[in-house]
Amino acid sequence: MSLEPPEPELDVGETPDGELDYDELADLLGEHVLDREEHVNAKGFVIRPDSVETVLATLREEAGFDHLSCLTAQQYPDRYESIYHLKKYDDPTQELSVVVPTASEEPVSGSAAGVFDTAIWHEREAYDLVGIEYEDNPDLRRILLPETWQGHPLSNDYNQDQPQIVPLREHANPMEKRTQVPDRSDTMFINIGPHHPATHGVLHLETVLDGEQVVDVDPDIGYLHRCEEQMCEQGTYRHQIMPYPDRWDYISAGMLNEWSYARAAEDLADIDVPEYAQVIRTMAAEMSRIAAHMLAIGTFALDIYGDFTAIFMYSITDREKLQNLLEDLSGQRLMFNYFRLGGVAWDLPEPREQYFQKVRDFCEYMPGRLEEYHNLLTSNELFQMRVLDTGILPPEEAKSYGCTGPVARGSGIDYDLRRGDPYGYYDELEWDVITDDGCDNFARALVRLKEMEQSARIIEQCVDVLEDWPEDEREIQSNVPRTLKPDHDKEIYRAVEGAKGELGIYIRSDGTDRPGRFKIRSPAFCNLQSLEVMAEGEYIPDMVAALGSLDIVLGEVDR
Amino acid sequence: MTLAETISSALGLEGAVGQFVGGFIGAAIVGTFILANAAVAGPWAKRKITAAFTDRISVDKLGPLGIGIIIPDAVRLISKELIVPEGVDRPAWDIAPLIIASSAILGFAVIPMGSIGSVDLQLADPEVGLAFVFAVASIASVGLVMAGYASNNKYSFLGGLRAVAQNLAYEIPLILTGISVVIFAGTLQLSEIVATQQQSLVELGPVAIPAWFAIVNPFAFILFLAANMAEVGRNPFDIPEAPTEIVAGFQTEYSSVYFVLIYLGEFVHIFLGGAIIATIFLGGPSGPGPASIGLLWFLVKIWGVFLLTQWARSALPRVRIDQLIEIGWKGMLVLAFANLFVTAVIVGVLAPL
Repeated sequence: MSLEPPEPELDVGETPDGELDYDELADLLGEHVLDREEHVNAKGFVIRPDSVETVLATLREEAGFDHLSCLTAQQYPDRYESIYHLKKYDDPTQELSVVVPTASEEPVSGSAAGVFDTAIWHEREAYDLVGIEYEDNPDLRRILLPETWQGHPLSNDYNQDQPQIVPLREHANPMEKRTQVPDRSDTMFINIGPHHPATHGVLHLETVLDGEQVVDVDPDIGYLHRCEEQMCEQGTYRHQIMPYPDRWDYISAGMLNEWSYARAAEDLADIDVPEYAQVIRTMAAEMSRIAAHMLAIGTFALDIYGDFTAIFMYSITDREKLQNLLEDLSGQRLMFNYFRLGGVAWDLPEPREQYFQKVRDFCEYMPGRLEEYHNLLTSNELFQMRVLDTGILPPEEAKSYGCTGPVARGSGIDYDLRRGDPYGYYDELEWDVITDDGCDNFARALVRLKEMEQSARIIEQCVDVLEDWPEDEREIQSNVPRTLKPDHDKEIYRAVEGAKGELGIYIRSDGTDRPGRFKIRSPAFCNLQSLEVMAEGEYIPDMVAALGSLDIVLGEVDR
Repeated sequence: MTLAETISSALGLEGAVGQFVGGFIGAAIVGTFILANAAVAGPWAKRKITAAFTDRISVDKLGPLGIGIIIPDAVRLISKELIVPEGVDRPAWDIAPLIIASSAILGFAVIPMGSIGSVDLQLADPEVGLAFVFAVASIASVGLVMAGYASNNKYSFLGGLRAVAQNLAYEIPLILTGISVVIFAGTLQLSEIVATQQQSLVELGPVAIPAWFAIVNPFAFILFLAANMAEVGRNPFDIPEAPTEIVAGFQTEYSSVYFVLIYLGEFVHIFLGGAIIATIFLGGPSGPGPASIGLLWFLVKIWGVFLLTQWARSALPRVRIDQLIEIGWKGMLVLAFANLFVTAVIVGVLAPL
């Protein structure tokens, strides 16, 4: 009998040093694998449309791919293609793309909805924008565009120059048909939003109530759809795409969003980033994260308290301090446009000492301030009474719904791309990933509060590093050609840890200076889908609290 | 001499006509006075107080401390378009705001507000004064249900239902706690209740602590304060409105003048709650100094209660409807009965010994 701890159990297709063994994975899938593809981030297996569910289920059960990070759909001249980007919650560097080609004439594919709940929305989006039909998807409706929309805007035969106007009289007019009375006639259907104080933007929740309790909730999104993916496809890599990410999650998280594009495009075009620029990026990104979490906490308190209380004002005040720091750095308060491929736009503001002092002052001020938030919120008994054990999201459900960020970490899932799939300067710094096993609204708020503390730690260490950086080695951008043309048909899916979770970008290059396909994996989109799990059976106020604890930004959900 | 008698004698009227005219003008004076308080509270004081609690500046452009905002705000509110939604149940929809606003003002008819010279600032002093106040204050609930039900809006409907559930849960503990005071005072007549509280409880050197019921029975006082918060529908019990949940509850569909009426009603209701608390727990208009500044003390007390409601609004999370019902029926009702029982034992069994 050995007293040594048992070896961690290895999934199939995993070598002892934590690498993926694609051959073994291919053996596992056997004849399902028709072909192999090379993506920059991972290898891809090409499979038949009717074996999607089998393949994904096998990969999930036996090879441990429990995170369907994203689904990208696109149309080639000769075929449609869906790519399921799989990852592992335990180790996000182990990636696998499952490529499902479907015929041009009849784009019908199997669905992954039976394996991953998150696939339901992803496939709805693919159906809506590209036009692939997923046969077994239980709810294949349009998701971003109105029900009456003609055609699929990202398909090749769609006339993008022809404006399409969908007036209300042609739209599914809510006044025309009476609401279907469900089986239980003592329920009431109610539209919460799109203009409602608690929906944090233009979100529409089709809710069925039984008295005060939520029987069913169906988020209806798309009111803020601005064709961001399409706009990015029409911009050049070098300069024209970078301003767009600022507009996805516009709640101060601009730096984090910009990094997602920067990381994907840099890896796609093999651009090195000077370390000095990486440190500045890390610092700027963490400032953005604190600012975004500040707003999340403030509005969450607003949802619970019901009025603009001191907590909201305090968090806005503190966010303002960060806005000022970021303004000093980038020249902008909201749409920073500070990152460049291969670095950042410019160096730290002069006089540097003064800027460092300002940042240090903030980092010193943070812990005391956070204590105040803990006093006002987390240790407030009335607040606890409201949020403890409400909006439960069990870890298994969270994984199935592809939840990431503070939402996943509030359900005890130790998943953070900054540590799991390091980029920037994070692996050189000391900080902790915060998780909480509460799985409830309280846990998600608590995780955000504690994460701000860690972010402040990171910022402080970055300042230390920047201060000692030799003056003649302050390289803010590497040498990047004026026009970037990545090789034809290179594909990459890269993600960073955004304010709301895993913010991923898929880019396929087509040999020109513009992306052939640009797909955004929005964390808020995936997190929002789990609202059903949290809200059903709860009271209306708890559903509102759960929505607040998800911290969605509709600009990012709808893109 | 009461206010009505003073007016009728000043006008040289006698008999029934004198009583009617005097009472009518007196009521107009008292009503205007209370509405003036609400006008200061709504557009200005509420903003200033919550701003102070939440680190803001709030109105500061017109007049000293921005108090001039009351005038443009009044013009703005009244000049807005009155939108009547399709399918509302008229006239119930139109009557509801009137009921909400008037029921609260009605309560002030029996509240003793001190005296100026020999003129007693109390319109009427019936023997059942306290019962009258509780009765008319409760009429507001009818208004809330009417507003919620007649608006043809599901949010209003939910708000109306919540208002009924809340008022049922809180009015019983509220009145039971009020009754414990009645047991102490031995009367329902408000002037008598105030008079009972004039004696001094203990003398600490030169300072005499008056026998205010808040000091005699602080437990009942706190219970009453909490129940009153729910009764007037303020945080943490603003569940019938709950802007982040059901938009604005029963008042979702009201705009313009009707909106003003409902809001006015709510503020007057807060003041009425304050007036009841002042009368039965804080010695009414009594306080240090000559009796002629009684009105001032009365104002200080009702504004103190108003301040408390705004403080709670800035500091306390709203409880959930099921939690509220639980607090009401399982907590406060039991406490209110216990308080009543103990008071009865003290007054009826122990005191005569």
